[in-house]
Amino acid sequence: MARVLVGVKRVIDYAVKIRVKPDKSGVVTDGVKHSMNPFDEIAVEEAVRMKEKKLASEVIAVSCGPTQAQETLRTALAMGADRAIHVEVAGPEYETLQPLHVAKILAKLSQDEKADIVIVGKQAIDDDSNQTAQMTAAILDWPQGTFASKVEKSDSGLTVTREIDGGLEVIKTKLPAVISADLRLNEPRYATLPNIMKAKKKPMKKVSAKDLGVDLAPRIKILSVEDPPVRQAGSIVPDVDTLVAKLKEGGHV
Amino acid sequence: MQNFKALFLQHTSLTRNHLTPEILLRLVTPSCPLWRSKDSPFEDPFWAFYWPGGQATARYILDNPLIIKDRRVLDVGSGCGATAIAAALRGTKRVLANDIDPVAVMAIKMNAELNNVEVQTDTNNYIGTNCEEFDTILIGDMFYDEDFGNMLFTWLRELASKDKMILVGDPGRHGLTKKRLSQMTLLAQYKMSAENCEENNGFTHTSLWRINK
Repeated sequence: MARVLVGVKRVIDYAVKIRVKPDKSGVVTDGVKHSMNPFDEIAVEEAVRMKEKKLASEVIAVSCGPTQAQETLRTALAMGADRAIHVEVAGPEYETLQPLHVAKILAKLSQDEKADIVIVGKQAIDDDSNQTAQMTAAILDWPQGTFASKVEKSDSGLTVTREIDGGLEVIKTKLPAVISADLRLNEPRYATLPNIMKAKKKPMKKVSAKDLGVDLAPRIKILSVEDPPVRQAGSIVPDVDTLVAKLKEGGHV
Repeated sequence: MQNFKALFLQHTSLTRNHLTPEILLRLVTPSCPLWRSKDSPFEDPFWAFYWPGGQATARYILDNPLIIKDRRVLDVGSGCGATAIAAALRGTKRVLANDIDPVAVMAIKMNAELNNVEVQTDTNNYIGTNCEEFDTILIGDMFYDEDFGNMLFTWLRELASKDKMILVGDPGRHGLTKKRLSQMTLLAQYKMSAENCEENNGFTHTSLWRINK
Protein backbone atom coordinates (compact mmCIF):
# COMPACT_ATOMS: atom_id res chain seq x y z
CA MET A 1 0.00 0.00 0.00
CA ALA A 2 1.11 3.48 -0.80
CA ARG A 3 2.25 6.19 1.54
CA VAL A 4 0.82 9.56 0.54
CA LEU A 5 2.34 12.98 1.23
CA VAL A 6 -0.05 15.94 0.96
CA GLY A 7 1.03 19.58 0.80
CA VAL A 8 -1.24 22.10 2.51
CA LYS A 9 -0.86 25.87 2.47
CA ARG A 10 -2.33 28.42 4.86
CA VAL A 11 -3.78 31.26 2.81
CA ILE A 12 -6.10 34.22 3.30
CA ASP A 13 -9.63 32.78 3.50
CA TYR A 14 -11.39 32.72 0.13
CA ALA A 15 -14.25 34.89 1.46
CA VAL A 16 -12.01 37.76 2.64
CA LYS A 17 -11.87 40.98 0.62
CA ILE A 18 -8.19 41.39 -0.27
CA ARG A 19 -6.50 44.76 0.44
CA VAL A 20 -3.21 45.76 -1.16
CA LYS A 21 -0.62 47.35 1.15
CA PRO A 22 -0.15 51.11 0.51
CA ASP A 23 3.53 50.55 -0.42
CA LYS A 24 2.48 47.96 -3.05
CA SER A 25 4.83 45.35 -1.59
CA GLY A 26 2.05 42.79 -1.09
CA VAL A 27 -1.38 42.32 0.47
CA VAL A 28 -2.55 42.97 4.02
CA THR A 29 -2.39 39.73 6.06
CA ASP A 30 -2.41 41.05 9.66
CA GLY A 31 -5.67 40.37 11.47
CA VAL A 32 -7.13 38.71 8.38
CA LYS A 33 -8.89 35.34 8.56
CA HIS A 34 -6.80 32.51 7.12
CA SER A 35 -7.70 28.93 6.24
CA MET A 36 -6.46 26.00 4.20
CA ASN A 37 -6.08 26.65 0.48
CA PRO A 38 -9.30 25.16 -1.01
CA PHE A 39 -7.41 23.13 -3.65
CA ASP A 40 -5.30 21.64 -0.85
CA GLU A 41 -8.48 20.59 0.97
CA ILE A 42 -9.34 18.63 -2.17
CA ALA A 43 -5.83 17.09 -2.12
CA VAL A 44 -6.23 16.01 1.53
CA GLU A 45 -9.69 14.59 0.81
CA GLU A 46 -8.34 12.50 -2.06
CA ALA A 47 -5.51 11.14 0.08
CA VAL A 48 -7.88 10.22 2.94
CA ARG A 49 -10.24 8.50 0.49
CA MET A 50 -7.26 6.46 -0.76
CA LYS A 51 -6.65 5.40 2.82
CA GLU A 52 -10.30 4.52 3.35
CA LYS A 53 -10.24 2.43 0.15
CA LYS A 54 -7.13 0.67 1.47
CA LEU A 55 -5.05 2.02 -1.42
CA ALA A 56 -2.93 4.03 1.00
CA SER A 57 -1.44 2.92 4.29
CA GLU A 58 -0.65 6.36 5.67
CA VAL A 59 -1.35 10.02 4.89
CA ILE A 60 1.24 12.60 5.92
CA ALA A 61 0.32 16.31 5.74
CA VAL A 62 3.08 18.89 5.22
CA SER A 63 2.90 22.67 5.53
CA CYS A 64 5.61 25.32 5.20
CA GLY A 65 5.12 28.53 7.14
CA PRO A 66 5.08 30.24 10.53
CA THR A 67 3.62 28.74 13.73
CA GLN A 68 0.07 29.33 12.44
CA ALA A 69 0.69 26.74 9.71
CA GLN A 70 0.11 24.20 12.50
CA GLU A 71 -3.59 25.21 12.57
CA THR A 72 -3.82 24.27 8.90
CA LEU A 73 -2.08 20.97 9.64
CA ARG A 74 -4.54 20.26 12.48
CA THR A 75 -7.36 20.73 9.97
CA ALA A 76 -5.70 18.18 7.67
CA LEU A 77 -5.35 15.80 10.63
CA ALA A 78 -9.03 16.26 11.52
CA MET A 79 -9.91 15.47 7.91
CA GLY A 80 -8.13 12.14 8.37
CA ALA A 81 -4.39 12.59 7.79
CA ASP A 82 -2.37 10.36 10.15
CA ARG A 83 0.48 12.68 11.00
CA ALA A 84 1.89 16.07 10.11
CA ILE A 85 5.21 17.73 9.39
CA HIS A 86 5.50 21.45 10.01
CA VAL A 87 8.40 22.97 8.08
CA GLU A 88 8.91 26.17 10.01
CA VAL A 89 9.57 29.18 7.79
CA ALA A 90 9.04 32.55 9.46
CA GLY A 91 9.78 36.27 9.14
CA PRO A 92 11.43 37.59 5.99
CA GLU A 93 12.07 34.08 4.65
CA TYR A 94 8.34 33.40 4.77
CA GLU A 95 7.62 36.69 2.96
CA THR A 96 9.70 35.49 0.01
CA LEU A 97 8.89 31.77 0.13
CA GLN A 98 8.35 30.61 -3.44
CA PRO A 99 7.06 27.48 -5.23
CA LEU A 100 10.61 26.32 -5.99
CA HIS A 101 11.44 26.29 -2.27
CA VAL A 102 8.26 24.41 -1.41
CA ALA A 103 8.89 21.93 -4.23
CA LYS A 104 12.43 21.25 -2.94
CA ILE A 105 11.06 20.75 0.58
CA LEU A 106 8.32 18.38 -0.63
CA ALA A 107 10.81 16.47 -2.76
CA LYS A 108 13.20 16.01 0.16
CA LEU A 109 10.43 14.96 2.55
CA SER A 110 9.01 12.53 -0.04
CA GLN A 111 12.35 10.76 -0.11
CA ASP A 112 12.88 10.89 3.66
CA GLU A 113 9.39 9.55 4.34
CA LYS A 114 9.49 7.05 1.46
CA ALA A 115 6.28 8.44 -0.07
CA ASP A 116 4.80 6.80 -3.16
CA ILE A 117 2.35 9.56 -4.04
CA VAL A 118 2.55 13.33 -3.51
CA ILE A 119 -0.73 15.22 -3.83
CA VAL A 120 -0.98 19.02 -3.77
CA GLY A 121 -3.64 21.51 -4.80
CA LYS A 122 -3.21 22.67 -8.40
CA GLN A 123 -2.54 26.19 -7.18
CA ALA A 124 -2.91 28.35 -4.09
CA ILE A 125 -5.60 31.03 -4.20
CA ASP A 126 -3.22 33.71 -2.90
CA ASP A 127 -0.40 33.76 -5.46
CA ASP A 128 -2.02 31.51 -8.13
CA SER A 129 1.44 30.24 -9.08
CA ASN A 130 0.45 26.73 -10.20
CA GLN A 131 4.04 25.51 -10.08
CA THR A 132 4.60 23.40 -6.96
CA ALA A 133 3.37 20.03 -8.31
CA GLN A 134 5.25 20.40 -11.58
CA MET A 135 8.50 21.47 -9.92
CA THR A 136 8.26 18.72 -7.29
CA ALA A 137 7.85 16.09 -10.01
CA ALA A 138 10.79 17.54 -11.95
CA ILE A 139 13.10 17.59 -8.94
CA LEU A 140 12.20 14.00 -8.02
CA ASP A 141 12.14 12.90 -11.68
CA TRP A 142 8.72 11.35 -11.05
CA PRO A 143 5.78 11.34 -13.48
CA GLN A 144 3.08 13.94 -12.86
CA GLY A 145 -0.70 13.99 -13.24
CA THR A 146 -1.69 17.62 -12.95
CA PHE A 147 -5.20 19.18 -12.81
CA ALA A 148 -6.64 15.82 -11.78
CA SER A 149 -10.42 15.43 -11.75
CA LYS A 150 -10.25 11.66 -11.18
CA VAL A 151 -7.54 9.40 -9.80
CA GLU A 152 -7.86 5.62 -9.97
CA LYS A 153 -5.52 2.83 -9.06
CA SER A 154 -4.44 0.73 -12.03
CA ASP A 155 -2.20 -2.34 -12.14
CA SER A 156 1.13 -0.65 -12.39
CA GLY A 157 0.28 2.79 -11.04
CA LEU A 158 -2.43 5.42 -11.38
CA THR A 159 -4.92 6.40 -14.05
CA VAL A 160 -5.43 10.15 -13.87
CA THR A 161 -8.15 12.11 -15.65
CA ARG A 162 -6.88 15.65 -16.30
CA GLU A 163 -8.90 18.79 -16.90
CA ILE A 164 -7.46 20.38 -20.02
CA ASP A 165 -8.63 23.10 -22.40
CA GLY A 166 -11.70 21.86 -24.21
CA GLY A 167 -12.06 18.51 -22.47
CA LEU A 168 -10.48 15.75 -20.45
CA GLU A 169 -7.26 13.85 -20.94
CA VAL A 170 -6.68 10.42 -19.42
CA ILE A 171 -3.12 9.41 -18.64
CA LYS A 172 -1.46 6.48 -16.91
CA THR A 173 1.47 7.00 -14.60
CA LYS A 174 3.72 4.62 -12.77
CA LEU A 175 4.42 5.05 -9.09
CA PRO A 176 5.88 7.01 -7.45
CA ALA A 177 4.04 10.01 -8.89
CA VAL A 178 2.98 13.59 -8.20
CA ILE A 179 -0.69 14.60 -8.51
CA SER A 180 -2.22 18.07 -8.46
CA ALA A 181 -5.88 18.35 -7.51
CA ASP A 182 -8.34 20.30 -9.63
CA LEU A 183 -11.71 21.60 -8.46
CA ARG A 184 -13.86 18.66 -9.56
CA LEU A 185 -11.71 15.88 -8.10
CA ASN A 186 -13.96 15.55 -5.02
CA GLU A 187 -15.93 17.50 -2.43
CA PRO A 188 -13.84 17.79 0.72
CA ARG A 189 -15.43 16.88 4.03
CA TYR A 190 -15.76 19.29 6.94
CA ALA A 191 -13.70 18.80 10.06
CA THR A 192 -16.30 17.80 12.68
CA LEU A 193 -16.07 17.85 16.48
CA PRO A 194 -15.27 14.13 17.02
CA ASN A 195 -12.55 14.31 14.37
CA ILE A 196 -11.13 17.57 15.72
CA MET A 197 -10.94 16.08 19.21
CA LYS A 198 -9.03 12.98 18.13
CA ALA A 199 -6.79 15.03 15.82
CA LYS A 200 -5.46 17.18 18.67
CA LYS A 201 -3.10 14.42 19.75
CA LYS A 202 -1.97 13.15 16.35
CA PRO A 203 1.82 13.42 15.89
CA MET A 204 3.18 16.67 14.47
CA LYS A 205 6.90 16.95 13.79
CA LYS A 206 8.58 20.34 13.40
CA VAL A 207 11.60 20.75 11.12
CA SER A 208 13.34 23.70 9.46
CA ALA A 209 14.24 24.17 5.81
CA LYS A 210 17.86 24.08 6.95
CA ASP A 211 17.35 20.61 8.48
CA LEU A 212 16.21 19.51 5.03
CA GLY A 213 19.13 21.22 3.30
CA VAL A 214 16.90 23.59 1.33
CA ASP A 215 18.20 27.09 0.58
CA LEU A 216 15.43 29.66 0.92
CA ALA A 217 17.14 32.51 -0.95
CA PRO A 218 14.47 34.09 -3.16
CA ARG A 219 14.71 33.48 -6.92
CA ILE A 220 11.88 35.84 -7.85
CA LYS A 221 11.62 39.50 -6.84
CA ILE A 222 8.18 41.03 -6.55
CA LEU A 223 8.34 44.51 -8.07
CA SER A 224 4.83 45.69 -7.37
CA VAL A 225 1.42 44.39 -6.27
CA GLU A 226 -1.52 46.46 -7.50
CA ASP A 227 -5.30 46.44 -7.19
CA PRO A 228 -7.18 45.36 -10.29
CA PRO A 229 -8.35 48.40 -12.29
CA VAL A 230 -11.60 49.88 -11.03
CA ARG A 231 -14.48 49.19 -13.41
CA GLN A 232 -15.47 52.26 -15.43
CA ALA A 233 -19.03 53.54 -14.93
CA GLY A 234 -21.47 52.56 -17.69
CA SER A 235 -24.10 54.75 -19.34
CA ILE A 236 -27.79 54.27 -20.10
CA VAL A 237 -28.99 54.80 -23.66
CA PRO A 238 -32.61 55.75 -24.48
CA ASP A 239 -33.28 53.20 -27.27
CA VAL A 240 -31.87 50.43 -29.43
CA ASP A 241 -30.96 52.77 -32.33
CA THR A 242 -28.76 54.84 -30.04
CA LEU A 243 -27.18 51.65 -28.65
CA VAL A 244 -26.33 50.40 -32.16
CA ALA A 245 -24.98 53.81 -33.12
CA LYS A 246 -22.80 53.92 -30.01
CA LEU A 247 -21.48 50.39 -30.58
CA LYS A 248 -20.58 51.27 -34.19
CA GLU A 249 -18.92 54.46 -33.02
CA GLY A 250 -16.82 52.45 -30.58
CA GLY A 251 -15.92 49.92 -33.28
CA HIS A 252 -17.59 47.03 -31.39
CA VAL A 253 -19.87 45.89 -34.24
CA MET B 1 -25.06 18.17 38.19
CA GLN B 2 -28.50 19.66 37.48
CA ASN B 3 -26.87 22.19 35.18
CA PHE B 4 -24.96 19.45 33.36
CA LYS B 5 -28.08 17.33 32.96
CA ALA B 6 -29.88 20.16 31.17
CA LEU B 7 -26.89 20.83 28.87
CA PHE B 8 -26.46 17.09 28.27
CA LEU B 9 -30.11 16.67 27.27
CA GLN B 10 -29.94 19.78 25.09
CA HIS B 11 -26.84 18.76 23.11
CA THR B 12 -27.27 14.99 22.73
CA SER B 13 -29.84 12.68 21.20
CA LEU B 14 -30.87 9.06 21.77
CA THR B 15 -29.28 6.60 19.39
CA ARG B 16 -28.93 2.89 18.67
CA ASN B 17 -27.09 3.56 15.41
CA HIS B 18 -23.85 1.75 16.28
CA LEU B 19 -22.39 -1.76 16.51
CA THR B 20 -24.32 -2.54 19.72
CA PRO B 21 -27.94 -1.52 19.02
CA GLU B 22 -28.94 -3.44 22.17
CA ILE B 23 -27.55 -0.47 24.08
CA LEU B 24 -29.44 2.83 23.99
CA LEU B 25 -27.15 5.82 24.37
CA ARG B 26 -27.37 9.57 24.57
CA LEU B 27 -24.60 10.91 22.34
CA VAL B 28 -23.73 13.88 20.17
CA THR B 29 -24.86 12.50 16.79
CA PRO B 30 -24.77 14.05 13.30
CA SER B 31 -28.30 15.35 13.97
CA CYS B 32 -27.00 17.51 16.85
CA PRO B 33 -25.66 20.99 15.99
CA LEU B 34 -22.64 20.35 18.22
CA TRP B 35 -21.44 17.54 15.93
CA ARG B 36 -20.49 20.06 13.23
CA SER B 37 -19.41 22.76 15.64
CA LYS B 38 -15.86 23.76 16.42
CA ASP B 39 -16.89 25.33 19.74
CA SER B 40 -18.25 23.05 22.40
CA PRO B 41 -19.71 24.14 25.77
CA PHE B 42 -17.95 21.04 27.14
CA GLU B 43 -14.20 20.76 27.26
CA ASP B 44 -13.16 17.83 25.03
CA PRO B 45 -16.37 15.79 25.51
CA PHE B 46 -14.89 12.34 24.84
CA TRP B 47 -17.99 10.93 26.57
CA ALA B 48 -20.20 12.43 23.84
CA PHE B 49 -19.14 9.88 21.20
CA TYR B 50 -19.12 6.11 20.99
CA TRP B 51 -15.60 5.61 19.66
CA PRO B 52 -14.87 2.63 17.40
CA GLY B 53 -12.57 0.99 19.97
CA GLY B 54 -15.34 0.97 22.57
CA GLN B 55 -17.80 -0.36 20.00
CA ALA B 56 -15.53 -3.32 19.17
CA THR B 57 -15.05 -4.16 22.87
CA ALA B 58 -18.76 -3.91 23.69
CA ARG B 59 -19.79 -5.93 20.61
CA TYR B 60 -17.34 -8.69 21.51
CA ILE B 61 -18.51 -8.84 25.13
CA LEU B 62 -22.18 -9.00 24.11
CA ASP B 63 -21.45 -11.83 21.65
CA ASN B 64 -19.01 -13.71 23.91
CA PRO B 65 -20.30 -13.22 27.47
CA LEU B 66 -18.22 -16.13 28.77
CA ILE B 67 -15.10 -14.01 28.46
CA ILE B 68 -16.30 -11.78 31.33
CA LYS B 69 -18.21 -14.41 33.33
CA ASP B 70 -17.47 -14.09 37.07
CA ARG B 71 -14.95 -11.39 36.29
CA ARG B 72 -14.16 -8.17 38.11
CA VAL B 73 -13.96 -5.68 35.28
CA LEU B 74 -12.37 -2.23 35.16
CA ASP B 75 -13.29 -0.11 32.12
CA VAL B 76 -10.55 2.54 31.94
CA GLY B 77 -11.45 5.77 30.13
CA SER B 78 -15.06 4.65 29.95
CA GLY B 79 -16.29 7.78 28.10
CA CYS B 80 -19.99 7.31 27.34
CA GLY B 81 -19.95 4.10 29.41
CA ALA B 82 -21.18 1.76 26.67
CA THR B 83 -18.50 -0.91 27.20
CA ALA B 84 -19.12 -1.04 30.95
CA ILE B 85 -22.87 -1.19 30.24
CA ALA B 86 -22.26 -4.15 27.89
CA ALA B 87 -20.40 -5.97 30.69
CA ALA B 88 -23.18 -5.16 33.16
CA LEU B 89 -25.85 -6.39 30.71
CA ARG B 90 -24.04 -9.74 30.46
CA GLY B 91 -23.96 -10.05 34.23
CA THR B 92 -20.29 -9.90 35.04
CA LYS B 93 -19.44 -10.17 38.74
CA ARG B 94 -18.43 -6.54 39.12
CA VAL B 95 -17.90 -3.68 36.68
CA LEU B 96 -16.43 -0.26 37.40
CA ALA B 97 -16.65 2.46 34.76
CA ASN B 98 -13.68 4.69 35.34
CA ASP B 99 -12.98 8.08 33.73
CA ILE B 100 -10.82 10.89 35.08
CA ASP B 101 -13.33 13.38 33.61
CA PRO B 102 -16.09 13.93 36.22
CA VAL B 103 -18.43 15.05 33.42
CA ALA B 104 -17.99 11.66 31.74
CA VAL B 105 -19.01 9.96 34.97
CA MET B 106 -22.30 11.89 34.94
CA ALA B 107 -22.88 10.85 31.31
CA ILE B 108 -22.08 7.19 32.16
CA LYS B 109 -24.64 7.20 34.98
CA MET B 110 -27.34 8.59 32.73
CA ASN B 111 -26.55 6.11 29.94
CA ALA B 112 -26.56 3.21 32.43
CA GLU B 113 -29.98 4.33 33.67
CA LEU B 114 -31.30 4.29 30.08
CA ASN B 115 -30.37 0.59 29.91
CA ASN B 116 -31.66 -0.29 33.38
CA VAL B 117 -28.30 -1.42 34.66
CA GLU B 118 -26.23 -0.26 37.58
CA VAL B 119 -22.66 0.63 36.84
CA GLN B 120 -20.23 1.68 39.53
CA THR B 121 -18.18 4.75 38.60
CA ASP B 122 -15.13 6.64 39.80
CA THR B 123 -12.65 9.27 38.63
CA ASN B 124 -9.42 7.75 39.98
CA ASN B 125 -6.35 7.54 37.81
CA TYR B 126 -5.53 3.82 37.75
CA ILE B 127 -2.63 4.04 35.32
CA GLY B 128 0.49 2.64 36.97
CA THR B 129 -1.44 1.02 39.83
CA ASN B 130 -1.69 -2.72 40.60
CA CYS B 131 -5.48 -2.93 40.09
CA GLU B 132 -5.67 -5.60 42.78
CA GLU B 133 -9.46 -5.42 42.94
CA PHE B 134 -9.77 -6.35 39.26
CA ASP B 135 -8.85 -9.24 36.99
CA THR B 136 -10.04 -7.77 33.69
CA ILE B 137 -9.13 -4.38 32.20
CA LEU B 138 -10.96 -2.88 29.20
CA ILE B 139 -9.28 -0.18 27.10
CA GLY B 140 -11.43 1.42 24.39
CA ASP B 141 -9.79 3.71 21.85
CA MET B 142 -7.08 5.18 24.02
CA PHE B 143 -4.07 4.85 21.70
CA TYR B 144 -4.55 8.22 19.99
CA ASP B 145 -1.85 10.03 21.95
CA GLU B 146 1.85 9.20 21.56
CA ASP B 147 3.10 9.99 25.08
CA PHE B 148 0.04 8.64 26.80
CA GLY B 149 0.22 5.50 24.63
CA ASN B 150 3.73 4.76 25.93
CA MET B 151 2.67 5.06 29.54
CA LEU B 152 -0.49 3.08 28.96
CA PHE B 153 1.13 0.17 27.13
CA THR B 154 3.93 -0.28 29.66
CA TRP B 155 1.35 -0.47 32.43
CA LEU B 156 -0.93 -2.87 30.53
CA ARG B 157 1.96 -5.25 29.73
CA GLU B 158 2.86 -5.27 33.41
CA LEU B 159 -0.73 -6.16 34.35
CA ALA B 160 -0.92 -8.82 31.62
CA SER B 161 2.24 -10.43 33.00
CA LYS B 162 0.39 -10.71 36.34
CA ASP B 163 -2.28 -12.82 34.68
CA LYS B 164 -4.86 -10.08 34.24
CA MET B 165 -6.93 -10.14 31.06
CA ILE B 166 -6.40 -6.94 29.06
CA LEU B 167 -8.78 -6.27 26.16
CA VAL B 168 -7.97 -3.40 23.80
CA GLY B 169 -10.49 -2.09 21.27
CA ASP B 170 -9.10 0.21 18.59
CA PRO B 171 -9.57 1.14 14.92
CA GLY B 172 -5.78 1.13 14.45
CA ARG B 173 -4.74 4.57 15.68
CA HIS B 174 -1.09 5.62 15.51
CA GLY B 175 -0.35 4.62 19.12
CA LEU B 176 -0.83 0.96 18.21
CA THR B 177 2.55 0.57 16.58
CA LYS B 178 3.66 -2.63 14.82
CA LYS B 179 5.83 -3.44 17.78
CA ARG B 180 2.92 -3.15 20.19
CA LEU B 181 0.59 -5.10 17.91
CA SER B 182 3.15 -7.92 17.88
CA GLN B 183 2.51 -8.29 21.63
CA MET B 184 -1.25 -8.61 21.17
CA THR B 185 -3.64 -11.26 19.80
CA LEU B 186 -6.47 -10.25 17.49
CA LEU B 187 -9.83 -11.54 18.74
CA ALA B 188 -12.26 -9.90 16.31
CA GLN B 189 -12.63 -7.24 13.65
CA TYR B 190 -15.80 -5.33 12.76
CA LYS B 191 -16.77 -3.01 9.92
CA MET B 192 -17.64 0.41 11.31
CA SER B 193 -21.06 1.94 10.54
CA ALA B 194 -21.14 4.77 7.98
CA GLU B 195 -21.88 7.25 10.75
CA ASN B 196 -18.99 6.00 12.85
CA CYS B 197 -16.68 6.30 9.83
CA GLU B 198 -17.72 9.94 9.49
CA GLU B 199 -16.72 10.50 13.10
CA ASN B 200 -13.34 8.87 12.56
CA ASN B 201 -12.00 10.04 9.20
CA GLY B 202 -9.56 7.58 7.65
CA PHE B 203 -10.83 4.51 9.56
CA THR B 204 -13.24 1.84 8.29
CA HIS B 205 -12.75 -1.13 10.65
CA THR B 206 -12.40 -1.56 14.38
CA SER B 207 -10.76 -4.48 16.17
CA LEU B 208 -10.48 -6.11 19.55
CA TRP B 209 -7.14 -7.41 20.78
CA ARG B 210 -5.97 -9.17 23.89
CA ILE B 211 -2.55 -8.22 25.23
CA ASN B 212 -0.30 -11.28 25.49
CA LYS B 213 1.04 -12.43 28.83
